Amino acid sequence: MSSIVPAMRHVRGFDVARPLSIGMLVFMMLPLVFLPLASIFIFGTSNGLDKFWAALTAPEAIFALKLSMATSFWATVFNVIFGLFAAYVLSRYNFWGRNALIVTISLPTAIPTAVAGFALLLLWGPYGTLGRLLAPHGFQIMFTAWAIILANIFVTFPLAFGVIKPVFDTMSHSLEEASATIGATRWQTFWHVTLPSLRGAIVSGALLTFARAVGEFGSTILVSGNLAGRTQTAPLYIFAKFNEGQIEAANAIAIVLALFSFLIFSVLFFARDWLDVD
Amino acid sequence: MAKAKETLIPRMEEPVSSAPPSTAAASVVGISKRFGKASVLENISFDVGEGEVLVLLGASGSGKTTILRIIAGLEMPYTGKVILHGKDVTELPARERGVGVIFQSYALFPKMTVEKNIGYGLRIRKRKRKEIKETVNELLSLVQLEEHRKKYPSQLSGGQQQRVAIARTLAYKPEVLLFDEPFGALDTQTRVHLRREIRTLLKKVNVPSIFITHDQEEALELGDRVAVLNVGHIEQIGTPFEIYNHPATEYVATFLGAANVLDAVVRQDFIEVGSAKIPLTVDKEKFKPGDCVKIVFRPEDVSLQRGDLMRSGHARLASAIIEEIAFVGAYERVRLQIEAGDGCKTDETRFLLTTETPDRKPSKSIIATRPKPEASATRLHVGERVVVALTSFTVLPPQGSKGAN
Repeated sequence: MSSIVPAMRHVRGFDVARPLSIGMLVFMMLPLVFLPLASIFIFGTSNGLDKFWAALTAPEAIFALKLSMATSFWATVFNVIFGLFAAYVLSRYNFWGRNALIVTISLPTAIPTAVAGFALLLLWGPYGTLGRLLAPHGFQIMFTAWAIILANIFVTFPLAFGVIKPVFDTMSHSLEEASATIGATRWQTFWHVTLPSLRGAIVSGALLTFARAVGEFGSTILVSGNLAGRTQTAPLYIFAKFNEGQIEAANAIAIVLALFSFLIFSVLFFARDWLDVD
Repeated sequence: MAKAKETLIPRMEEPVSSAPPSTAAASVVGISKRFGKASVLENISFDVGEGEVLVLLGASGSGKTTILRIIAGLEMPYTGKVILHGKDVTELPARERGVGVIFQSYALFPKMTVEKNIGYGLRIRKRKRKEIKETVNELLSLVQLEEHRKKYPSQLSGGQQQRVAIARTLAYKPEVLLFDEPFGALDTQTRVHLRREIRTLLKKVNVPSIFITHDQEEALELGDRVAVLNVGHIEQIGTPFEIYNHPATEYVATFLGAANVLDAVVRQDFIEVGSAKIPLTVDKEKFKPGDCVKIVFRPEDVSLQRGDLMRSGHARLASAIIEEIAFVGAYERVRLQIEAGDGCKTDETRFLLTTETPDRKPSKSIIATRPKPEASATRLHVGERVVVALTSFTVLPPQGSKGAN
């Protein structure tokens, strides 16, 4: 920063551009980001903190939060492990169809979440391609917590992969070669040499995936059935309560989710140095 | 490539110059390597003796790194064998060969401390904790990094990282140490300092080592023997003294520092260079009269004098005109225009040329260096005519067939 500022100051004395541009930036962000966020907090606490607390501790609200955390957690675990594996395969080996696979993995980001949910329904639903075969055996995946996990996995699929793969790509090949000549097996090399270098990427990939999964709405509402106390995640709860006119109830959860994502991105931002420490 | 092979094969059949090491710790036998259709190594063979340091010297693209990677097991040879302490390891994966590779980038594990890096080889071999600790301590003191044991590689200087890399390979007692341009990333001062240190270290630990470098000074200083590589084949293997003073080929001569190369013809008891006749004393049996050869001499083998009287051991080469005198610190460098032979022709044409057009002789630049005492004792000036005498020179055997050149 300090190296940029003096270079911009081509005129002696007070630099008008600086306060003007900063002010402009903040002003533009005000109606777009700051005010909407602020209003959640203002509204949520306007009827007193005890009301807020009561809305937050309602059994359905607690359940929705827990369900969101649990389903997001398992989706994250899966996607980090899968992303690690996929990144390893796709950056270590060159094979026919490799680029097609990379594109396919990255695709879910570009697909509207409602479409993703719909696609899952068409596959696993009671009349779906696979679901039709499973239903007679008592396997019903849609409208359960499993469906939410599946939807979360689908929409956050490329996130961890996208963070981990570039690290793999730029990682010096000689580290692994050195480890091999020292006498390590592939697995030992991966565990002692490759994985530690990926620590930062894994943590940030996991946080990104988790944050995204917790907030997932479009696909979840289609596949979960939105049953309060059974398959209703936190974002669905907000939507449902809002529709019922219970603004305070919706707001309490909204505050929690907002704080939660704020926390995750603070970690990502401020722990960057720690995550990438050599 | 076929052409290179023609000149390569007859030379390979000549015995290599220096005495082969008594016991071969590592041998490479008839290695060749192709990437696709491009042949990068052709029939490479050499031995490294117990405790010996062999330097593979070559320009970039000469295939030296590929040889190293083949010995390490990181690359498969197309043909040939790699033998370590009598055992054919050609088919073994890198991790079962027990070689130590010191990479140009050091390849230290960034998330491990110095200690952990050094102990890595023993940890993955599941040695006892106490044994690992002792070995690490020993090596830390050997490479003088005790006070840096808890640091991470990124906190060390290039030279220190290099020493950690060496200690890390020494920990598991490798069969052979392979150095891949280990000083490439260091500044001149550090590299000179470090290579002396490493030379001492290697003599202490007595592990056979193969170094690769493109730096001839480094090769001469580090190597017990030096192998000069040129586009995938070995030009010459010998002690630094041998390859510097008795280069087998023009490539070796010019690659190892400055060299003057002149065309010459072998006669009965002398060599004819231009109009000069230099007595041929050694290696007489290698040549037959009429052979087209090249003579090679170093700038420091040239003696410049005003008179025609030769001191003993000096052979008169020609008279020359001084073109340029440059002061380069430790010595003075003189560029001279010399009347040289006009390439090698058959006896008849040569005879005609030299008699019929005596004043249209082609001339050639040669370089001479004069040490300070000599330079200040006899001052020379640009434009002055002096007599060039040689104190030492090498005759290169004729290349290929006679008509080719």
